Amino acid sequence: MDRKPVLKSFLMKRELVRQHVDSFNDFIENRLQEIVDETKIIETDVGVEVELGNIFVDTAEVIEADGSRNKITPMEARLRNLSYFSPVYLEMKLRKEEREGEFERVKIGMLPTMIKSKICNLYGKSDEELIALGEDPLDPGGYFIVNGSERVLVTIEDLAPNKIMLEKGEEYSKITEVAKVFSRRGGFRALVTVERDRDGLIGVNFPSVPGSIPLVILMRALGVETDKEIMETISDDPAYTHDILLNLEEHIQIKTKEMAMEYIGKKVAAGQTREYRLKRAEQVIDRYLLPHIGVEPEDRLRKAHYLGRMVLRVLELAQGKRDPDDKDHYANKRLRLAGDLMEDLFRVAFYNLTRDIKYQLERAVVRGKEPSVHTAVRADVLTERIRHALATGNWVGGRAGVSQLLDRTNYLSVVSHLRRVVSPLSRSQPHFEARDLHPTQFGRICPSETPEGPNCGLVKNLALACEFSTGYPEKELIPFLYDLGVKPIQKEGL
Amino acid sequence: MRIIPKKVEGIKFGLLSPEQIRKMSEVKIVTADTYDEDGYPIEGGLMDPRLGVVDPGLRCKTCGSRVGDCPGHFGRIELARPVIHVGYAKLINKILRSICRACGRILLPDDKIEAFRQELRKAKRIGKSEEPIVEELFKAARAVKKCPHCGEEQLDIKFEKPTTFIEDKQRLSPIDVRERLEKITDSDAEVMGFDVEVARPEWMVLTVLPVPPVTVRPSITLESGERSEDDLTHKLVDIIRINQRLEENIEAGAPQLIIEDLWELLQYHVTTYFNNEVAGVPPARHRSGRPLKTLAQRLKGKEGRFRSNLSGKRVNYSARTVISPDPNLSINEVGVPELIARELTIPVIVTPMNIEHIKKFIRNGPNKYPGANYVERPDGARLSLARVKNIDELLEKIEPGWKVHRHLIDGDIVLFNRQPSLHRMSIMAHEVRVLPYKTFRLNLCVCPPYNADFDGDEMNLHAIQGQEARAEARVLMRVQEQILSPRFGGPIIGGIHDHISGAYLFTQPEVRFTREQAFHLLYASGINKPLPEPAFVEDGKEYYTGKQIFSLLLPEDLNLTYKAKVCKKCEVCKEEECEYDAYVVIRNGKLEHGVMDEKSFGAFAGELLDRIVKDYGTDAAREFLDNVTKLVINFITWRGFSTGIDDEDLPEEAKERIAEILEEADRKVQELIRAYNENILEQLPGRTLEETLEMRIMQVLSEARDKTGAIANEYLEKEEKRRKHENSARIMAISGARGSLLNLTQMAACVGQQAVRGERIKRGYSGRTLPHFKVGDISASAKGFVRSSYKRGLSPLEFFFHNMGGREGLVDTAVRTSQSGYMQRRLINALQDLKVEYDNTVRDTRGVIVEFRHGEDGADPSRTDWGQMVNVKKIVQRYARKEAA
Repeated sequence: MDRKPVLKSFLMKRELVRQHVDSFNDFIENRLQEIVDETKIIETDVGVEVELGNIFVDTAEVIEADGSRNKITPMEARLRNLSYFSPVYLEMKLRKEEREGEFERVKIGMLPTMIKSKICNLYGKSDEELIALGEDPLDPGGYFIVNGSERVLVTIEDLAPNKIMLEKGEEYSKITEVAKVFSRRGGFRALVTVERDRDGLIGVNFPSVPGSIPLVILMRALGVETDKEIMETISDDPAYTHDILLNLEEHIQIKTKEMAMEYIGKKVAAGQTREYRLKRAEQVIDRYLLPHIGVEPEDRLRKAHYLGRMVLRVLELAQGKRDPDDKDHYANKRLRLAGDLMEDLFRVAFYNLTRDIKYQLERAVVRGKEPSVHTAVRADVLTERIRHALATGNWVGGRAGVSQLLDRTNYLSVVSHLRRVVSPLSRSQPHFEARDLHPTQFGRICPSETPEGPNCGLVKNLALACEFSTGYPEKELIPFLYDLGVKPIQKEGL
Repeated sequence: MRIIPKKVEGIKFGLLSPEQIRKMSEVKIVTADTYDEDGYPIEGGLMDPRLGVVDPGLRCKTCGSRVGDCPGHFGRIELARPVIHVGYAKLINKILRSICRACGRILLPDDKIEAFRQELRKAKRIGKSEEPIVEELFKAARAVKKCPHCGEEQLDIKFEKPTTFIEDKQRLSPIDVRERLEKITDSDAEVMGFDVEVARPEWMVLTVLPVPPVTVRPSITLESGERSEDDLTHKLVDIIRINQRLEENIEAGAPQLIIEDLWELLQYHVTTYFNNEVAGVPPARHRSGRPLKTLAQRLKGKEGRFRSNLSGKRVNYSARTVISPDPNLSINEVGVPELIARELTIPVIVTPMNIEHIKKFIRNGPNKYPGANYVERPDGARLSLARVKNIDELLEKIEPGWKVHRHLIDGDIVLFNRQPSLHRMSIMAHEVRVLPYKTFRLNLCVCPPYNADFDGDEMNLHAIQGQEARAEARVLMRVQEQILSPRFGGPIIGGIHDHISGAYLFTQPEVRFTREQAFHLLYASGINKPLPEPAFVEDGKEYYTGKQIFSLLLPEDLNLTYKAKVCKKCEVCKEEECEYDAYVVIRNGKLEHGVMDEKSFGAFAGELLDRIVKDYGTDAAREFLDNVTKLVINFITWRGFSTGIDDEDLPEEAKERIAEILEEADRKVQELIRAYNENILEQLPGRTLEETLEMRIMQVLSEARDKTGAIANEYLEKEEKRRKHENSARIMAISGARGSLLNLTQMAACVGQQAVRGERIKRGYSGRTLPHFKVGDISASAKGFVRSSYKRGLSPLEFFFHNMGGREGLVDTAVRTSQSGYMQRRLINALQDLKVEYDNTVRDTRGVIVEFRHGEDGADPSRTDWGQMVNVKKIVQRYARKEAA
């Protein structure tokens, strides 16, 4: 059979850098608003508040030296060494001593515009129109223009968040089995590990807590108080009874939730008052333990059950009923595209902006001026933070080389560059396994195209017919599961 | 100038005492400013002219010499309060904990101290490290709670990195610390490992800071005329500024708190002045936010003084360019582009004998080849010929005793090098041949020792400047002296690729030449020898065989027999009647039987070449190699030689047989799997059942691949005979010119099992490698066995598996190069100063014997026969011949 027409029609319909453009469009249309909603209200110390409303992005434009604003095309940006950025507007409402103001639309900065995205002036143009604008109709887009240079946000291959990964402990170390999960909520990532040591004792590690907390104590702190409940949360399979009993006995002196909280409080806030210690313990449990499940006290029970799952896996691994997870399996990888990376950057830049707005408002009030959102917003704070990151490649979180100068050696090098995937693993260490071609890369990653030398196998390129799936929003999925008959987790007797 | 012979006996390290610092300092630095408004250095400032000169033309105020000659002179800063030297903070801590806070004695009874003293003396005498003993003492003294000398209770001393000491919650100021260290008696200090002559413990607390000369920290004048100071100067400015403020505050009687703050700041600045990367101290930064590069940073690491300036130096009189091949050069030669020859020079001393000759070079000047770039007067002054206006005037002045730096000319000895320089053959001496164009040219036979090819490789060339060096290079380093490798006692320089296949074809029994053809070949190859009697006459025409012509290059009394590379290693060797002509017999310089291939004069393998070097010397070997390569290259060029994909053509019958073998292998694998499942597989010792199964499967599949290869080879050979047309690919493989039978197998028959880290492909989806297979499928094809040949093409799945195997190779080479480089660095550091002394022992620089004889047998591997010190067979043959004669 001649398969050429199939491939041809596939490539006609799905352009080669669709993933970047789609991801960026999603960022503009949905995720920007979500980031704004995370803040919602900017509070100040002087009784003034700003409520944030809808965010809106216009198409790319340039501010000329005389202050006039013009729509520009990518080619104009390239030729005049300009940045191809679009203005961002945000609705803001000033509230002063309960006096409600009106929503005003304020320009909060400029956002880099991905070529051929929905906020690009080339969007939807026909080939003839593109040629008239000085563009190559075959140019795939999917990159940005900053100070006249074309910049690509290279796709980053990350270990999947919110997924339990089982590992064997290092040889000769005290820890024999580990279950890890990169718990991710918004921009916050917390590594939570459940470790079993040589003596069969299980401890839990999570950020902001020094050392590990014994499982039993943590369970009790989460409201799973009795031994029976703990046992049931993990497994009622008699094969694991012994392992769990071992742990229950070790910490027999801590019996109640209060005692457990006391224990955690001593760890996280040693030397503070009892009151503060308890408050801090609760805070830590809600904020830093498995944040992807939730950050409110009512999520604790679900966290306990999730921990129970992790423990069960650790025990299964210890008893040889389960194999360690393959970190290089592509099911355990997630690719972070331009939109995801812009999201990280925008979140930090926007947070900086809100802090600046707060500062400006406070200053205005202290000096006795009438506070106004228009004067409080310094658009350059946001724009420059983003522009600097994009121009140098130094992303938030200390990652360098995220944005790269688009390789224009020839058409193929452009397409290849836009479909590049890099692994964040260091190139100086061998990492033999990570560099191998993994069978799960079949059809997803090109088996042949990888550089020779220190980056071999760490820098990859997408396979020709590779497609992206983007996940499904939890909010819609959960009610559906309940409809199918899934029972919510509840504490017995409630 | 009279040269006083001096010998360095040893180097002693010590601490600078305050008196010593004052004595060696020329200036007391008091002002933080460097230059005044007019741009002149301020007296008593950091750029005080007495600290040395950096501007050309000026004379030093202290020693009166000019820029290059003045070494610079130290100054000093008198610190208002003492500070701890960070580098010694750890040691100070140990000492403080080991001595009494009241009387300053070591916290051990006298007899124990004495015991340590004895042990220390012993260690010193036998050249053992003193450190562990001193450590032991510190450990013992620390545990004591009450001074055995004065009875004082000892308090616990805490050391807070990097420079703070706390005794029972009370901070010890550097003054306190110094006082305690001062109390230590000389004899106690000695037991703690101090040589009190050059290092008193209290000198670890600084009261005076030496200021390095300006030559160490020169300022740069930018294009705009602005001066930019060195990082060290910046740091010193900080120190002086704080020091001044501290002094003023102390004099003004400021509150203790302020003084302590300033003191702390002074400590910070002095600390970062020594080392700006101390843990727990924020690095001092430049205005731009760049951390300053202070003393320790200058020395440390890859870019530091040691690794980058002392271990790795840059040289003049060197050139680098791309290399390309030239078969017409001798192995001893290197083709040098005229452009480079005009740049590199060789100093020639003018004598009455060469004066006229040398003047020609000068007359040509720097731009006309062959000329000269510089002349040097007997007093050492150099004149650039590019700047000399009146050449004739200069020529008048030239007389014996002058030195002329003339261009490279043909025959000059130069060093030629390709990195990585992994063995001594990576740098060899070549004779110059000045050629047009812009690349270095080299003979193909020297590619193996340099490991060079011509895909863009670059090499370095060094023009030797001294007579002794030149003589030494010629005698020891010339290419022809390096033919035999000290690695395995055979030739490392020899024929490659077309040399081998050319010689193989040339010496085939049926090859014959007419008189004209023979003369033509010899002439083209530049061989000037009379032809022997023709081998046979046909239709009145005289014919010469290839072997006859080849024999012309051999020494006349050479006798040698060996088995060629093409030898099939039959059960019973038919010797001279060998059907493959693989039994080489050379009798009295005549090649009577056998073909020439890799075993005759190939690099790494050449038996014939080996014999010629060892028995007839390097000159003969060089001549032989030059001639033989030219001859066979001319022959193969005239004859034609090419390979194409039809060299891997197999008849249908062969393909069927190959398919059959692969079917059979598949069946065997299934059989093994069945046996495994039914638990009747016989377990190999030391292996689990699973490992056994894997090993057996691997074995079966590799056998199958080899069998298909054998079939392919069989048919290729048959086809060759049938069509009377040799198969170039096969010829290259069997003669050892390039490629192997395995390569042929993979191209024509079957690629075979793909492996990752020595195992069949095992990773992937759960229970299977790819979703194209059933879960639990461990058959040949599901685990990366490639049935197809490269020529036939791989199926998508096979292609993927092949890529998996290939990726491992890529990663391996990438990782290995960096690792082997690091290992080499460490080996060189460990072995660099071992040498063989005249008494045949191997010793280090201290004279400590490492080996009583080099290699424990005293043998030079390059003079052995492939590592064999005595070749009995060779001796027997020689005497047998003598007997017969």
